[in-house]
Amino acid sequence: MPEDIRALSTVLAADPASLVYVDLAEVLRRRGDLEQALRVVNGGLTRHPEHADGLDCLGRIHASRDDLPRAREAWGRALAVAPDHPGALKGMGFALFREGDAHGALAVLERALEVAPADDGARRALDTVRRALGVESAVPALAPARPQPAVVPATAPCAPSVAAVGAAADAAAELPPVFRGLEGATADILLFDDRGLVVAGGLNGADGADVSALAAAGLAGVSSEAERTAQYLALGAWTTIVAEADRANLVLAPVGPGALLLVRRERGMPVGLALRVAERAHAAASAWLARQGE
Amino acid sequence: MSADLERALDRISRVRGVRGSMYVAADDGLVVAQLLMETVNGKAVAALAAALARKVGGAASATGAGRVRFLRMDAADGTLLIVPAPRDLLVVALTDPRVNVGLCRLEMMRAAEAAA
Repeated sequence: MPEDIRALSTVLAADPASLVYVDLAEVLRRRGDLEQALRVVNGGLTRHPEHADGLDCLGRIHASRDDLPRAREAWGRALAVAPDHPGALKGMGFALFREGDAHGALAVLERALEVAPADDGARRALDTVRRALGVESAVPALAPARPQPAVVPATAPCAPSVAAVGAAADAAAELPPVFRGLEGATADILLFDDRGLVVAGGLNGADGADVSALAAAGLAGVSSEAERTAQYLALGAWTTIVAEADRANLVLAPVGPGALLLVRRERGMPVGLALRVAERAHAAASAWLARQGE
Repeated sequence: MSADLERALDRISRVRGVRGSMYVAADDGLVVAQLLMETVNGKAVAALAAALARKVGGAASATGAGRVRFLRMDAADGTLLIVPAPRDLLVVALTDPRVNVGLCRLEMMRAAEAAA
């Protein structure tokens, strides 16, 4: 057993009412032992049902388990107890953004930065959401700006998926060159998984900043919605979603189990041509994923 | 259903391969007006189309693409088409997989204008 877990467990065993349960649960969560983390935090919350730090930690654990509804519920409970809890505000911002409510995320993250103006994580998350919404940042950065595409509650790498999204985006230059030879291979074509993790390619925003992780997080939810729609309407498996928008046309397609492809093309390009590009990108992604499985 | 909306839906439904068309309230996914084949569950189509439109709309913002003007989901056995319309409405069409999407899109755009 790692030393930090052993020490925290000893403290908690000696005093089961100790608030150290949050630290222990957080360490377990970061190590990926999510079920044990959940047991510990639930145990603590049984004794301290209105402990905002504990509820915030519970939200992070659920987010790490990719259980967004429960994460959101936990952060909501934390905010009901402590409306200005920075961690819960950031978590709620993350949850709202993942659910496609960018405006809601914006409001919550603005509040997070109001209550914790030195919180660089909240600032980066807010900037990212503002960029996604095309809203100019009204908040001067405390430190030199650095591309940080993921909306990450900064108290911790709260969900492995989210943390990995940020890490993946930071390491965008190291992503595999799956779409080499295709126009926009690293700026307009993105391969990601159904948990919102960037796998390959890349997506840049209008200002040239990398928004891959942001897009992957937002688009991951589209896949499950499409699946549900196709299933309920007895349409069979969904194959493509095409969205014609003000500034660009988007083509989204599943690539094997658990992987999704996004191709973005400027609004002026005919949709039929964009679909052809998407077909080529799909073939490249399929071949590459198949090679990974060999 | 007003005569204008009825005519607009009728034009969409005349496109070969269209199983049904409807106006849907974008915020709650309820049917405002519809013209469907008997086998199509209008309430389900409306609710799911509105949910999908919301999800894709949010995701499109995340990619910097802006506001969605036309949405199409292709599946093995059919296609769902969605056009946002004034007054927080959606024009929705459920079609066979081989439908002429371009023609259907044109009629749906007209239907969106009719809702103004």
